[in-house]
Amino acid sequence: MLKNYFKIAIAVLKRRKFFTFISLFGISFTLTILMVATAFMDKVISPDYPDYKRERSLYVATMEFKNTKEGWLNRSDVSYYFFDHYVSTLKTIEKMAISTNAKASNAYVNNKKIVIKYKYTNADYWNVLEYKFLEGKPFGQQEINNAEKVAVISEETKTAYFGDAKTVVGQYISADNVNYRVIGVVENVSETLYNFAGDMYLPYTVSKENYKRPELMGGYNAVLLAKSKADVPKMQKEFDQMMKRVPIPKDFDKVYSNADSFFASMTRRIAGDGTNNGLTVVVSILSVFVLLFLLLPTINLVNINITRILERSSEIGVRKAFGASSKTLVYQFIVENLILTFLGGFIGLLFSFLAIYLINDANLISNMRLSMNFMVLFYSLIACICFGLISGVYPAWRMSKLNIVKALKAQ
Amino acid sequence: MFKHLFKLIWNKRKQNFLFLSEILVSFLVIFAVFSFLTYYYQNYSKPLGFEYKKVWSINYDNGLLTKNNDSLAIFYDNLYKSLKAMPQIEEVSYTGGNFPYSNSNMSTGVNFHGKKFDHVNNYMVGNDYKKVLDVNLIEGRWFLPEDAVTKNKYVIINETLKKEMFGKETAVGKLIGNYDDKEKMKIVGVVQDLKANGDFWPAGNAMFNQLDTGYLKYNSYILVKVRESADATFESELYKFMANTMKNSIEIEHMDEMRDSKNEVTIIPMVIFIIIASFLIINVALGLFGVLWYNINKRKGEIGLRRAIGASGNAVSYQLVMEAMILATMSLIVGSFFAVQFPLLNVFNIPASVYVIAILLSILFIYLLVFACSLYPGKQAAGIHPAVALHEE
Repeated sequence: MLKNYFKIAIAVLKRRKFFTFISLFGISFTLTILMVATAFMDKVISPDYPDYKRERSLYVATMEFKNTKEGWLNRSDVSYYFFDHYVSTLKTIEKMAISTNAKASNAYVNNKKIVIKYKYTNADYWNVLEYKFLEGKPFGQQEINNAEKVAVISEETKTAYFGDAKTVVGQYISADNVNYRVIGVVENVSETLYNFAGDMYLPYTVSKENYKRPELMGGYNAVLLAKSKADVPKMQKEFDQMMKRVPIPKDFDKVYSNADSFFASMTRRIAGDGTNNGLTVVVSILSVFVLLFLLLPTINLVNINITRILERSSEIGVRKAFGASSKTLVYQFIVENLILTFLGGFIGLLFSFLAIYLINDANLISNMRLSMNFMVLFYSLIACICFGLISGVYPAWRMSKLNIVKALKAQ
Repeated sequence: MFKHLFKLIWNKRKQNFLFLSEILVSFLVIFAVFSFLTYYYQNYSKPLGFEYKKVWSINYDNGLLTKNNDSLAIFYDNLYKSLKAMPQIEEVSYTGGNFPYSNSNMSTGVNFHGKKFDHVNNYMVGNDYKKVLDVNLIEGRWFLPEDAVTKNKYVIINETLKKEMFGKETAVGKLIGNYDDKEKMKIVGVVQDLKANGDFWPAGNAMFNQLDTGYLKYNSYILVKVRESADATFESELYKFMANTMKNSIEIEHMDEMRDSKNEVTIIPMVIFIIIASFLIINVALGLFGVLWYNINKRKGEIGLRRAIGASGNAVSYQLVMEAMILATMSLIVGSFFAVQFPLLNVFNIPASVYVIAILLSILFIYLLVFACSLYPGKQAAGIHPAVALHEE
């Protein structure tokens, strides 16, 4: 049966080449844009180098003070003191990676300016996050305690600063007029990973700012790693419990900080605040946007499908006259439409590969490498099916209501 | 004639419904695109108001400096003199963090005769800020060093704020209240708008304050205007000098690069948006074309009959194009009803002229699109031979 439908579908597609072209164009370009968008979302959301342990991690990035009476609000990154003094007492935390946000500084080599974004980190940073070391090794507790001027640099910085030198471990790199000894080179991190991208990683003890200052706000953020996935809710609860013990700063009456899952920490930054993680807002805005975007190609496809189906009224009339039920006919047309959609999807896939290649090549976002993985393919398959069904159901329904006598008379 | 066309359209209302909704949605998409483009173009065509080439910003970490006001004043005075003495540097000025193209914003409210003006960009500027950025004065004068000790604080406002506050009247010499209307500030000058957020964004309301010694302990930016002779060698010397003076982290940025990256943030999403919108429109155009073409082929009998009773080819094709245009008009009326809400409700605080121009452009665009798509099918209909068509029937 399916084989028959397939044959009919191909014959119909061949008959009116112009209409086939319009349908395929609409489907393939819509899916291309959806796929590229999915690839981008996938890059941002799913675990990626070097942050692979998202399942058992929670992210702490903001501290918020509120004065509810006056309506004052202070929001900032978190202090080292807060992590060291409060968060490190939590029992469910296995390890905690603490780092500052990347700050830019300049280095001058051979009359060329290099912008180096540096981050201060603790020793466990290297145990929680799985940076790939191309040479050398990370700094440990020993180097941190001694406040040694050692640096882990990115591959990009290595090429920019040392040229094509084979190995740079043991050499010195000068930034902010301080010479740091390079002890490791790591693979570049995509800038979409805001918290982990940097050109140079240094022990926090060499930071010129006073990291011991007993304040809650500062320039740090942290990844809390639980022993297992099951421990994560427990860890979150313990963190919230601990927040109740944190003294409220002068002039304010509320203090908020949250340990969020990766996605929630992102939506909180975009649309949330201390009490609301912004997840629903971001997800609904995204869905509305996708729906609106799909609306136009879908209406267009429905329009064209109706035209095509009415053109075949004689065929429908004959089939009905010989006893085919409406259901069979609807089924046939939906299958035909799905075949067309998959064909468009395949072309769209080729276009997406091209688009992704071009985007990667242009390096729009520093070190971001989009890729087509199984997840992206799976989502595009779902998109294909939805698209095919939506644009096929209404025309099929219209067609099945066609009166036999009328349909045959049209001939 | 029109009555007849309406009757024809009404008879096929079911078929036309999808056609109508397609044009309606396309109109709304086009309206969004044109609103953006008009807004950006209107801002782009305004003068920049300052000179960014050959200006560098130096960002320093002031954490290790003394917090004593007097010693700070001496320290900064010496730093200013040393920088000014460098042969490659033309002008030097201290500035708050929100200088043009930086990603920092600082705003406040001001009061005048009981009326409050919110979101006024509040710039802290040194005395030589005008020379560094080549700001154009429209009225009054710029800050003088002796202004720091006057009774009322002196401020300079920009053109937009002046127009909102005083209209055509002169602003210089007037007193305005600060955010809670407790202190009075005296306006000494009006400057041309500075498009500080890039070429595509308006300057907004702005007020300039003299950077006094009390503010120095928070300050961490210096703007320098360099001469042609300043190259990377000089930059690295300047960097070393600053790092030695501050004993803390330093970053030097070039304002022209900051401008490029600021503009990119506007341009890249816009280009992506335009690419997507144009694909949607091509898609719709092909769809309209296909549907019209098909409909006309189906109406061969009717057209043949009209030709047989004496209608000319032109009349037939005119009728079909007109039908499509009337359909488009119906959609556009509904679409305009939605679009008109934007200027009426003053959505996003964008000038109404942007929306009005965008609506007019979108209407024109949709008409052209529908016209172009119906032209060929209409012409084809005109070519139908009555004898052949009627024979088929």
